[in-house]
Amino acid sequence: MAAARLLQAAVPRFSRCRSLGKADPRTSLLSGQLYGTLIAPEGNEAVDPNVINDKLITEALKNPDFFNVKELISLKNLFDARVHLGHKIGCRHRFMVPYIFGCRLDQDIINLDQTMEHLQLALNFTAHVAYRKGIILFVSRNRQFSHLVENTARDCGEYAHTRYWHGGLLTNAHVHYGDGIRLPDLLIFLSTMNNAFEPHVAIRDAAKMHIPTVGVVDTNCNPSIITYPIPGNDDSPSAMQLYCRLFKMTITRAKNKRKQMEVLYRLQDKADSS
Amino acid sequence: MATLSWSRSASRSRAWQLLAVAKRGCTSSQGAGDSPATDASPPDPEQQHRGLSDLDAGPQQVPSSNVESFASMLRRSPLIQMGPAKDKMVIGQIFHIVEDDLYIDFGGKFHCVCKRPEVDGEKYKRGSKVRLKLVDLELTSRFLGAKTDTTLLEADAVLLGLLESRDMRRKK
Repeated sequence: MAAARLLQAAVPRFSRCRSLGKADPRTSLLSGQLYGTLIAPEGNEAVDPNVINDKLITEALKNPDFFNVKELISLKNLFDARVHLGHKIGCRHRFMVPYIFGCRLDQDIINLDQTMEHLQLALNFTAHVAYRKGIILFVSRNRQFSHLVENTARDCGEYAHTRYWHGGLLTNAHVHYGDGIRLPDLLIFLSTMNNAFEPHVAIRDAAKMHIPTVGVVDTNCNPSIITYPIPGNDDSPSAMQLYCRLFKMTITRAKNKRKQMEVLYRLQDKADSS
Repeated sequence: MATLSWSRSASRSRAWQLLAVAKRGCTSSQGAGDSPATDASPPDPEQQHRGLSDLDAGPQQVPSSNVESFASMLRRSPLIQMGPAKDKMVIGQIFHIVEDDLYIDFGGKFHCVCKRPEVDGEKYKRGSKVRLKLVDLELTSRFLGAKTDTTLLEADAVLLGLLESRDMRRKK
């Protein structure tokens, strides 16, 4: 299958984070699930990974909040981290108006009730992607927090790109990196603007490559083509630390859950077969 | 029996509060709009005792902090209570220093950058508390031909001096 995204053994050039040593056959199943053309053959010993993978995925989809991300976020936490503070009224983007609670002395205030809902959806989605062993790429061009973002990515075993985004990174990946490159399965934007106060190129490129995006959108950002926007402050250190902590916790939680479920199902299978 | 009497008086107190809100004519749109929402929480004994006596008070404060709404948190936050930022005294904390530039965070969206003063210059270290007089919370301006404001991502404040603790005052 020419369109199949095989795992490349070399270290991807996205960041200096972990290196992908062994080629895991299970990771190609993710693209199989997306395209829906892979049908697991019946009654074969080598099929076990496929069957277990299907069971694990269907199990995770039974509950709307399978990873219990609701308990990670609270209104008080968001408020104390200054997530509700927006830019001045003159910087406001038209499409952010539905997410804005009001304007106080020319400063926009973001509606935290909406932020809670959006954050819960985004964290739930991130957890599911991490559960299915997807590759997550943190993107942020905010120089003040680039070190924080890179550390967060390293700590949860994922990737970060906080430097200048060269044009064809996603759209021309086969030319840059050769054939058989696996692109990220989720892009998380801790700040959707670049240093020229324009939308980051990766938002448009990810949409072109059918890669879902999660992004923190401030009052001067365009939330249109972001799959899971999170209206919130992206300029205060306390808010950024909160987001990084939340993403790190959800991703590690999802990965641990995956390991648990695999062990559980393998034991169950052994018990059934014996 | 006890629950029956509580629910009756709770509904009575709620009716009084709604009448009071209607009388005020809903001038403060956000505050009044929120009072029915906050009163929808289950009846508390404390809320009842206050309900009949404090008819003129604004939206009733829910005792447990878990159920506090965003609107009430915002209304009582120091940033809103402060009003316009011009000429307000605040206390900030230095979180970064680059030679003579002090980056001071005072609790707003942005930090402010001030020059190290000549008086007691070496006492300004990372983590020291300082007194500031705010000028603006965010430096923005609309330039000619631009669609949106250009923002500097900084606040503007005048550095008054170090926060003098009581011990220092006693020594003086």
